[in-house]
Amino acid sequence: MDKKLLEILVCPLCKGPLYHDKAAAELICRADRLAYPIRDDIPVMLEEEARVLPPDEEVPKA
Amino acid sequence: METYPQAAPHSRSPDRNRPDAVIDKRAARRAFDRAAATYDGVAVLQREMATRLLERLDYVRLSPKTILDLGAGTGLAVDDLQRRYRSARVLALDFALGMLRLARRRGSLLRRPACLCADAEALPLREGGIDFIFSNATLQWCNDLDRTFAELRRVLVPGGLLMFTTFGPDTLRELRTAWAQVDGHGHVSPFLDMHDVGDALVRAGFEGPVLDAEYLTLTYADLGGLMDDLRGLGATNATRERARGLTGKARWRAMRSAYEVHRQEGRLPATYEVVYGHAWAPMQRVAADGAVTLPVSAIGRRVPHPGATEN
Repeated sequence: MDKKLLEILVCPLCKGPLYHDKAAAELICRADRLAYPIRDDIPVMLEEEARVLPPDEEVPKA
Repeated sequence: METYPQAAPHSRSPDRNRPDAVIDKRAARRAFDRAAATYDGVAVLQREMATRLLERLDYVRLSPKTILDLGAGTGLAVDDLQRRYRSARVLALDFALGMLRLARRRGSLLRRPACLCADAEALPLREGGIDFIFSNATLQWCNDLDRTFAELRRVLVPGGLLMFTTFGPDTLRELRTAWAQVDGHGHVSPFLDMHDVGDALVRAGFEGPVLDAEYLTLTYADLGGLMDDLRGLGATNATRERARGLTGKARWRAMRSAYEVHRQEGRLPATYEVVYGHAWAPMQRVAADGAVTLPVSAIGRRVPHPGATEN
């Protein structure tokens, strides 16, 4: 993932910060409880493509 | 390709409250993903529009650090933007991942664009991180132009430039007329009048908007050529109330013969009304509490500090 790109990325819905889960290749918004996938190194920041976090899944702070 | 300028009468925009004027973005994305491999081969018009838009940059002095190519598709303009602005980073954004898989190969080994799959109406970018937004043949896919422009202004730095092309209401008028004669359905996506685009820019707080339109005409030996092009571009009609299912063979034939009345010198024309626009993000931002902030660079040296003495 492009580091400089990561620096300017926010959640498309709440514009809040994202937590980068490198192992899962996801960018996670704690507020909206959505995990946006990174496919082939390209962040897919679309609500309809995001994984809804189950209530028990904890997310570190961004 | 023929081109001639034409003044547009005031507002010929479709009523976006009508269900047949709402773009189904999922359908549009799927069509673009499917079209990724064929896009460059048929994007003659889009390439020409990009070239003409880029030429307009000859008259603007810019030294952007970060350029957002909004609706970059396969990255048609990436190389040109990189050549023009040697020290800029180009961020290629599109809502179709299939297109970006091609866009990422643009540039050179040492200088690839950063790619981002996102919706122009809900940008995943922080405030004020972009110096220049370049957007070719994209805004016609946005349902809410006010929301889109508000987003574009949000991500631009104060004094940042937005430059774009989009399509006006006369686009594909022959096809629209032919279909209307057959079944009363539009079958062609609705396009906004440039006056309404300009008004939306002002509502979003952009300054100094300039808009103009020109007509470009592509000609085809037969209607199949036009339809193949539109499919190859992924530019199939994606409005929600488009007639579902196969268009009946009889209706196709009727449409085909209705289109024939436009034939000139043995060729079938397809008209595109191309709208060009640019506008600037204001230098000052007004916060919710009414406080006005100016970037340090805007302060300049012309105004002496109170109490300072001129030598």
